[in-house]
Amino acid sequence: MNYKCPACKKEWPTSKQVARHMFGTGDKAHRAWIESQGYSYIDLLLEQVSEPGNKSYEILSGLIEKAQDKL
Amino acid sequence: MSTEIKELKYSTFKTNIKYSVINTKVHNVDGIAKVTGRAQYTFDIKLPGMLYGKILRSPHPHARIINIDTTRAMELPGVKAVVTGKDTLGIKQGIWRRYEELCDEQILPLEKVRYIGEPVAAVAAVTEEIAEQALDLIDVEYEVLPAVFEPLDAIKKDAPVIHEGVERNVNVTRHIEWGDVDEAFAEAEKNGGYIREDWFRCSGQHHMCMETRAAVSSYTPEGKLTVWASTQSAYYTQALLAGVLGMREGDVRVIATYVGGGFGGKFELDAAMFCSAVLSKKLCKPVKIVFTREEDMIASKRRTPMYYYVRTAMSRDGQLLARESRMFSNGGAYTGMGATALYLSGFFHSFPYKWKAYRYDGYRVYTNTMPSTSMRGFGAPQAMFCSEQQIEWMCADLGLDPYEVRRKNAHTECYEVPGQAFIQSCGMTECIDKIEEWAKSKGDLGPNRAIGISSCGFMSGGIFNWFDSPYSFSSAVVTINIDGTVELHVGCQDIGQGSNTTMAIIAAETLGVKVEDIKVHSGDTDHCPADLGAWGSRQTLMAGNAVKMACEDAKRQLLEFAYAEMGLNIVYDLDIKDRWVHVIARPERGMKYEDLVRKAIRAKDGQRIVGRGYYTPHRKGMISPAYSYMMQAVDAEIDPETGKIKVHEIMTAHDCGQPINPLGLVGQLEGAASMALGYAYLEDLPMDEGKLLNPNLVDYKVIRAPEMPKTGMIDIETYEAEGPYGAKEAGEGLTNPTAAALGNAIFHALGIQMKELPLTPERILRALREKKEKEANK
Repeated sequence: MNYKCPACKKEWPTSKQVARHMFGTGDKAHRAWIESQGYSYIDLLLEQVSEPGNKSYEILSGLIEKAQDKL
Repeated sequence: MSTEIKELKYSTFKTNIKYSVINTKVHNVDGIAKVTGRAQYTFDIKLPGMLYGKILRSPHPHARIINIDTTRAMELPGVKAVVTGKDTLGIKQGIWRRYEELCDEQILPLEKVRYIGEPVAAVAAVTEEIAEQALDLIDVEYEVLPAVFEPLDAIKKDAPVIHEGVERNVNVTRHIEWGDVDEAFAEAEKNGGYIREDWFRCSGQHHMCMETRAAVSSYTPEGKLTVWASTQSAYYTQALLAGVLGMREGDVRVIATYVGGGFGGKFELDAAMFCSAVLSKKLCKPVKIVFTREEDMIASKRRTPMYYYVRTAMSRDGQLLARESRMFSNGGAYTGMGATALYLSGFFHSFPYKWKAYRYDGYRVYTNTMPSTSMRGFGAPQAMFCSEQQIEWMCADLGLDPYEVRRKNAHTECYEVPGQAFIQSCGMTECIDKIEEWAKSKGDLGPNRAIGISSCGFMSGGIFNWFDSPYSFSSAVVTINIDGTVELHVGCQDIGQGSNTTMAIIAAETLGVKVEDIKVHSGDTDHCPADLGAWGSRQTLMAGNAVKMACEDAKRQLLEFAYAEMGLNIVYDLDIKDRWVHVIARPERGMKYEDLVRKAIRAKDGQRIVGRGYYTPHRKGMISPAYSYMMQAVDAEIDPETGKIKVHEIMTAHDCGQPINPLGLVGQLEGAASMALGYAYLEDLPMDEGKLLNPNLVDYKVIRAPEMPKTGMIDIETYEAEGPYGAKEAGEGLTNPTAAALGNAIFHALGIQMKELPLTPERILRALREKKEKEANK
């Protein structure tokens, strides 16, 4: 099963790859979707860099997985 | 591209082809003009009625412009015009034209200034001295705003906002990842692998071109603007100027015949170009602006300072298992080319090794300091300083042979950097072998002296079109005159690196003539085809391919005529070598090249022979069509009493594919060593509240002749299918390994680990003190 980007509907094999795409793109549409889920795009990004591990990507991957049914 | 190259694709080998011109010692085609002083740089341009411009700069790192009153300045006799942001279209510009939000710099801003030295007004006067005096008569009312200077402070929630709407001052982010990094680290831990993490700080560096930024603009009532500029890309300058001045590109002519150095700092639009153009448009008179050395240092751009966190997992037998890196760069006030450096730093941080799992998160942060941009190495020297030192330390911690570990993990031909790049030719292993051999041959060097090594790779031209150019990346037009001489028009830019000579060599080889038959025309947008210019080590491969294609086109036309003229059996092949057109199987049978050209032009109804060529990379991954590889060794001695470094020798084993211009290659090697050593242990840009403390060549230390060590090169020849005659990058990448290699030499000489650039005596002494304290505490 492929995962769709909730903002632009592009598809990748894993939700983490979609998260990577969303962080990497970072335009208004992608930021707006993350913010509509109750998270700050920039805070998630900075958490990724200032904390060990991959927490921000995991959070975003989880949100993307949950959103798949509605896409 | 010729057939034999395509057949040899993905194969690395030494070619046995005997070239007539390629890889022979050819004098620089511009050499005589330069050494006799006839070469005209922008600084030398003098036009009738020319005025002189000067720029008023902000004394504040962050301030709102309330009002600019130019009345008193205009009253000074000799002053012809004063311009501010109100005299412009107020357009924000940048080289990342595909992304509007990254076009964030308005030269002569209307609302606020964001770094000390930012231009706020410009004056044109009959002399430079009067223009300078007039600057003191411009009254600017500022509202000083809180400022922030370091990226780790600028991302804090309560930090001053530098660009409205940019949250936490994060300008650009870049994430690169392949493999499952978390799993790879977990597995490494479970299996008893070794994991190490370090923080590094890499400083900025000034480009320090011999020619400071300079421009002469001449606008005529016909609506045409001609700009002589010290630029790395006449085409970028033309397009950017047209954009901010609201003109058509074709109405702007940029001439950059001789440029006194660029190193990555001269392909954005600068204040000399823009302000001279605005003043000239206003007055319909030529206006010249030349930056002083101090202006060049405080208000141009610099190598990007970076903070790197690096975590690496290695198996006990030296297999690299995983890497996770985070990087914050001090972007300064505007984006410029810094966004590209952010990406390339992360990509080359993985080089030249086969990582199963790799993750890089890069953050470019705005601060109230001079903007950071590209500089020779494009983010890779910083990345290698961190990566290659950490690998060396891990080898030492585990008791492993650092050469063997590098060999075990090195890129090889046909390797794919997952999702990023495909490596065709690669001589990395051979580079390691040769340097190991050289280092071991040196024997015992005595106390406080050691050899440090570092390997790396670099791109041969970037596959980036953030500028959104509709043109081919490189183009060339070759015209053969009746006497056999050749006019070669190229858009690529010679900035002192010798690209005109390289193009002449490729043209001469392809056409079968002598270098002295080729006249290279470059650096003029009215007469040369568009080309992205001199950056990212792109000219030998990209412009070289365009030149080769153009010459092949012209040669084909000549040989078609030769077939008919000589009445040959169609199974015979013809070629031209050393101005002799001949049957390949029977070289004695042929005709003089000049005779053929004369006849062919008559047969074409008097039309000169014209060949065209172009190159744009396709299906070559995300970064570059090809990669150079190298390993460098630095032999250095450090005085433990003073911390002073003496570099005895630098030896580099270098795979640049087929060398085209061996003299140029040596020049590149020496120039890169000088620049990279300066970065490693001398050059720094210390600031106090955003103010540069050493904006002159007394306090800013560059390598001088007595400090320049002996340099040597071991040429590892490979054949790169994508390059003209198998050539790859040679010059920029050589800047990448030196700081790391010197750091490793210090590590082996004194047992200290240096995590901050430059490697100054003070830092060395501090590290020695800390080492002693640690040993005492044990």
